[in-house]
Amino acid sequence: MDKQLILPYCDLYAACLRDESRTVGHADSVSFPRSEDEVRQILHALHEAGTPVTVQGARTGLAAAAVPRGGHVMTTGGMDRVTGLRQENGRFYLTVQPGVVLLNLRKMIAKREFDTAGWSEASLTALEAFRTAPAHFFPTDPTETTAAIGGMTACNASGARSFRYGPVRPHITALRCVLADGQTVALRRGQHFAQGLHFSLPTAEGGTVEGDLPSYTMPRTKNASGYYVAPDMDLLDLFIGSDGTLGVLTELELALSPLPRISWGATVFLPDEEAACRYAEAVRSQVKCAAAIEYFDPGALDILRQRKAQGDVFATLPDLTVAGDGAAVFTELHCDHRKEAMAALATLGTLAEQCGGCADRSWVARTETENETLRHFRHAVPESVNSLIDQRKQAYPTITKKGSDMSVPDGRLLEVTDMYRRTLAEEGFQYASWGHIGNNHIHVNILPRDMDEHARAKELFRRWAAVVTQMGGAVSAEHGVGKLKAPFLTIMYGEAHIRQMRQLKRLFDPKMQLGRGNLFAVEDEA
Amino acid sequence: MRTIVCVKQVPASNEVRLDEKTNTIIRDGGEAVINPFDSHALEAALALKEQLGGTVAVLSMGIPAAAEMLRQCLARGADEALLLTDRAFAGADTLATSYALFQGVEQLGDFDLLLCGKMAVDGDTAQIGPELATRLGIPHVSDVFSLECSGDSVTVQRELGGCVQTLRLPLPAVLTVTRELNVPRLPSIAGVLRSETVEIPCRSAAQIGADEAQCGLKGSPTQVVATFLPQRTREVVELTDTAALLPIIKGGAGLGTGD
Repeated sequence: MDKQLILPYCDLYAACLRDESRTVGHADSVSFPRSEDEVRQILHALHEAGTPVTVQGARTGLAAAAVPRGGHVMTTGGMDRVTGLRQENGRFYLTVQPGVVLLNLRKMIAKREFDTAGWSEASLTALEAFRTAPAHFFPTDPTETTAAIGGMTACNASGARSFRYGPVRPHITALRCVLADGQTVALRRGQHFAQGLHFSLPTAEGGTVEGDLPSYTMPRTKNASGYYVAPDMDLLDLFIGSDGTLGVLTELELALSPLPRISWGATVFLPDEEAACRYAEAVRSQVKCAAAIEYFDPGALDILRQRKAQGDVFATLPDLTVAGDGAAVFTELHCDHRKEAMAALATLGTLAEQCGGCADRSWVARTETENETLRHFRHAVPESVNSLIDQRKQAYPTITKKGSDMSVPDGRLLEVTDMYRRTLAEEGFQYASWGHIGNNHIHVNILPRDMDEHARAKELFRRWAAVVTQMGGAVSAEHGVGKLKAPFLTIMYGEAHIRQMRQLKRLFDPKMQLGRGNLFAVEDEA
Repeated sequence: MRTIVCVKQVPASNEVRLDEKTNTIIRDGGEAVINPFDSHALEAALALKEQLGGTVAVLSMGIPAAAEMLRQCLARGADEALLLTDRAFAGADTLATSYALFQGVEQLGDFDLLLCGKMAVDGDTAQIGPELATRLGIPHVSDVFSLECSGDSVTVQRELGGCVQTLRLPLPAVLTVTRELNVPRLPSIAGVLRSETVEIPCRSAAQIGADEAQCGLKGSPTQVVATFLPQRTREVVELTDTAALLPIIKGGAGLGTGD
């Protein structure tokens, strides 16, 4: 190695031991590679001893996938360059390193300004065309905009707009990935397919990874639970959502989408959760230009009311004082014509009235200022919950909120929310729910008041995992399984399928070095 | 209770750029919005209507496209709008603007309260409200952050450099308001749908009986002599070792002294 790439762990690197799940791990060494070549050198050096390697992006994950349990931590945040642009059939594709942060990516795309040092002639030509083309955007929109693209790919991240645009998966058209032994795979969508469940994948170094995919059938719902597998699948998809267990992502190509000319939002208030579910289902089937359908339950609105009353940055939230504002549903509309947006707005008004809401008591955002107001409102919910938990940490330092991330297929929304409410009431928990009701994917956040409730919340989620699985749902719809939800993945797919996943991992990572503890325990159960 | 709210369309961007050749603001392409302070004035008027009944009218002088901003005010709950638009109004300073708006107020008929934002974020003059009050011959208070209205008088508070002044004014009166007054509401679905089909009345100088000599550039004693981009006089120097820092702390060492 030309320079010291692997550094012994010291307290200076404490930030590398944790992520947004607020769990803390431990490590023996750390590295901060700046290029694919450095990633390769580091992995090569660690391979012989079989040192465990935990890969990190921006550490904004909620499932502890980036939290090391010993061994080495590799942080790819320093690989943060946009390396090229390609135009094909009128579409634009951006090549990025995994450490590029979503917020910066959005700014660069919106301003159409990139650091083009080292770009090829072809990329510079594409950039000329991009600058005169209609505006584009990258649609995946997790709430945490400081997420890194590598991490988003590793957990197949989503966001509100996945209702329309899907998770990050379909927007990734190529990737490069270094395997545990230092070999590289380069995949482009449409080039490498499995035959049935058998696959054979060449490496850049002339090797081959060959074997069989697990035989489970994935749920037909929003899903970020375990490996993406299907007969005859595009092998690119295997790496998206693999939670840092198959290799280290070093380059990604992102397909950009044309920015819709109109982006409006509308929040309506409904008497209760059941009415909100009925409204959301009606919007899903009747409003074709809906890009996001988001929910706030009575608990979430109550927390916002309290926060607003306390003042500070939340004082500018719109007023929520009207009695009977039981629950709220926000719909984002994306389209190119004002007439279509007005018609959609009228439909939202009619549906709200049919579900017990009121078209006069609703919020519409059409200007940037108004959209910002609604964004502030949406983001204030998780922020308020976090600050509530931070207060409780003074009495119970290890207490955390317990947030669920489960989805169910269409037609099961009323049933699953009824089950959530009934069991939460039985346990007597304080909770607030919000999220992606359009995808039947609501984050229920239990706010434990002591450690006993904390433990019981965990147990309740295990029970839910079984019920949601029976409904044909997913135990993690967008956060990824990481370490925290690994037990749920076993509930969802069963021990035999977990064993198949482990075998698949071993084909790429024979010494089981990468992302240990993510998705499943590394060792077979005794 | 009848309230008139004066609103102005301003550039949406906070990254206003100047044309380096003409030294004028580049306005084309950028989204235009209601002046943020005026948004708080409208909210105050709508809240008074909810409390005391009555109507809210919005008034603006501007380019024809400003009709869309007025439509947004209707979507939020205003009952009536009037746009003064004419080449003759172009280039107006505050005196000519307040003259045109005064004529517009006359068109809208009797009122109890006239509200403005404390200033427009593009011009920063804060003169329109007081000038209108003077033309109307009625009392006014600027920079109001709290107001209560009984129907025949209004009690307001404003901050005066470290102390708060409370004043009661008989109606009709003119107030200019700050952001602290309230949180502007968002329009409702029903409001947006209602406003969509309304025709916004547009009036020329002649139609409101304005004397063209008092309008626009002709009626403006304020003449802009020149605008220019401020020259940067500060330098940034990157230091690579601490030894270089000491002479700078001691003074000078070849660095610009700043502005």
